[in-house]
Amino acid sequence: MFHWLEKNPFLFAVGVFLVIAFAGLITLLPSFAQASRPVIGTTPYSTLELAGRHVYIKNSCNACHSQLVRPFKSETDRYGDYSLSGEYAYDRPFLWGSKRTGPDLHRVGNYRTTKWHENHMMDPKALVPGSIMPGYKWMFTNLVDIDTAYAEQITIESFFGVPYNKPVPMKDGTTKIVKMGKTLNEANSLALAEAKLVAADMKNQNVKDMIAKGQIPEIVAIIAYMNSLK
Amino acid sequence: MNKLYLGAIVAAVLMLIATYVSFDFKHGSSDIVNQIAILGAVVLVIATIFVVVKYVRQMQTDTATGELMSDNWDGVGEYNNPVPTGWAIVFALTMIWGMWYYLIGYPVNAYSQIGEYNEDTKVFNDKFEKEYKNVTGDKLVEMGESVYLSNCIACHGLNADGIEGQASDLNVRLEKSVIKHAIINGSNNHLLGSEMPMPDRNGLMNANNNYAPITDAEIDLVSSYVANGMSGAGADVFAGTCAMCHGEDGKGLEATAPNIASFDAALVINVIDNGKKGAIGTMPKFDVLNKKQKEAVAAYVQSISK
Repeated sequence: MFHWLEKNPFLFAVGVFLVIAFAGLITLLPSFAQASRPVIGTTPYSTLELAGRHVYIKNSCNACHSQLVRPFKSETDRYGDYSLSGEYAYDRPFLWGSKRTGPDLHRVGNYRTTKWHENHMMDPKALVPGSIMPGYKWMFTNLVDIDTAYAEQITIESFFGVPYNKPVPMKDGTTKIVKMGKTLNEANSLALAEAKLVAADMKNQNVKDMIAKGQIPEIVAIIAYMNSLK
Repeated sequence: MNKLYLGAIVAAVLMLIATYVSFDFKHGSSDIVNQIAILGAVVLVIATIFVVVKYVRQMQTDTATGELMSDNWDGVGEYNNPVPTGWAIVFALTMIWGMWYYLIGYPVNAYSQIGEYNEDTKVFNDKFEKEYKNVTGDKLVEMGESVYLSNCIACHGLNADGIEGQASDLNVRLEKSVIKHAIINGSNNHLLGSEMPMPDRNGLMNANNNYAPITDAEIDLVSSYVANGMSGAGADVFAGTCAMCHGEDGKGLEATAPNIASFDAALVINVIDNGKKGAIGTMPKFDVLNKKQKEAVAAYVQSISK
């Protein structure tokens, strides 16, 4: 019955490939798509948070800090709920990390505050006596790069359809809209408005002065980013 | 003796010589593992030569017999021989096993990482529940200290002094500056289940009951009074302005206002559950702690505060 197949080995090989590939696709793709869909309560990064993420990457925070809480009792006791793949839907790239020299940061926004980060980034040993983390003093004076963050926002919005300016469902049933500027100027003013909220909880006079002048130091952006990790 | 056997013997001898040369007898021969390895090598050489010779002989002498099937592929045909019994049985068993594995045996529902996590957590929680059900007194304080050291120390510090204004000083119930801040700005932490916020200074009447707001002097006086552990000057201001909600002794009223004279369990647990925002800054909630751990922290805070 199938001798005609055996007489056309190339066609046969193509057929076998198609059957196996199709079977693979229908078993793998739906669950993969399901798992990578954003979890309810996961929101896109705002301009300032995204700029903070760039600071995080620039300073290689991910070399010492992971962002993945594994499903073990010892980890969930310390960091909160274990991580789900959908929580990384807006992370490009995700910053899971592979080594924990410092603690995991995936839910650091739940149990650390702006003020704590401010003091800790200036001098970690003042708060955690045995800490081997260095201070990141230059973040208090370096200006953050909003332009690049905005460029990334435009890219991921148009290419990946990240829902900026659209309602995103939250855990309590409400929706939240993460704004993205239509122009670079608008993006800058949105970032500055958010930076003012963060800086209101900070003590450093130099940072406050810079914000008042319309400049955003890196520390404000990275704190906004860390506060968004929940 | 024909060429095949001769070749086989030559090959075997060469391989054995190669084995002998490559093996360091001087140092290795005393080791039992090395002895087994060299024995295995010899057996392997002989077996290989034997098998090769057998099949080469068979190819040289065997002739095909039996009835050919009708199909042939470019002149290559197949004999219509019956399937060997042993092979057929194994084949059938494999089919049955395959069905079993496909429908029942495949461990898709047998294991999941999250399932294991849930089981581990349940076992741990049950054990915790059983072991620490009746913990009280010093044991509870000790437990609270360990929870404090792992969760609270990052902001409140090793000595619970709040690391220079980082967080509130737990050695005292309230610092004067904190009290002043609360009186001037009000407080809206919804602690103790109360939806009624504490009003700011414009909503607080002064002690003379003449419907005028509280004065700066009175604020200063009553702040010192509360910070001093409800003693010294200012008792009259407290009685006139604060006692209505916080109670005459400052120990708070249920569902109205928290205890401001000392830490009590309900207050500490409330702050752990909900977090708070006040003069010093924001404290996040720590709801990863379980009920007993929260009670323990409350006991510990009560034990260190004066």
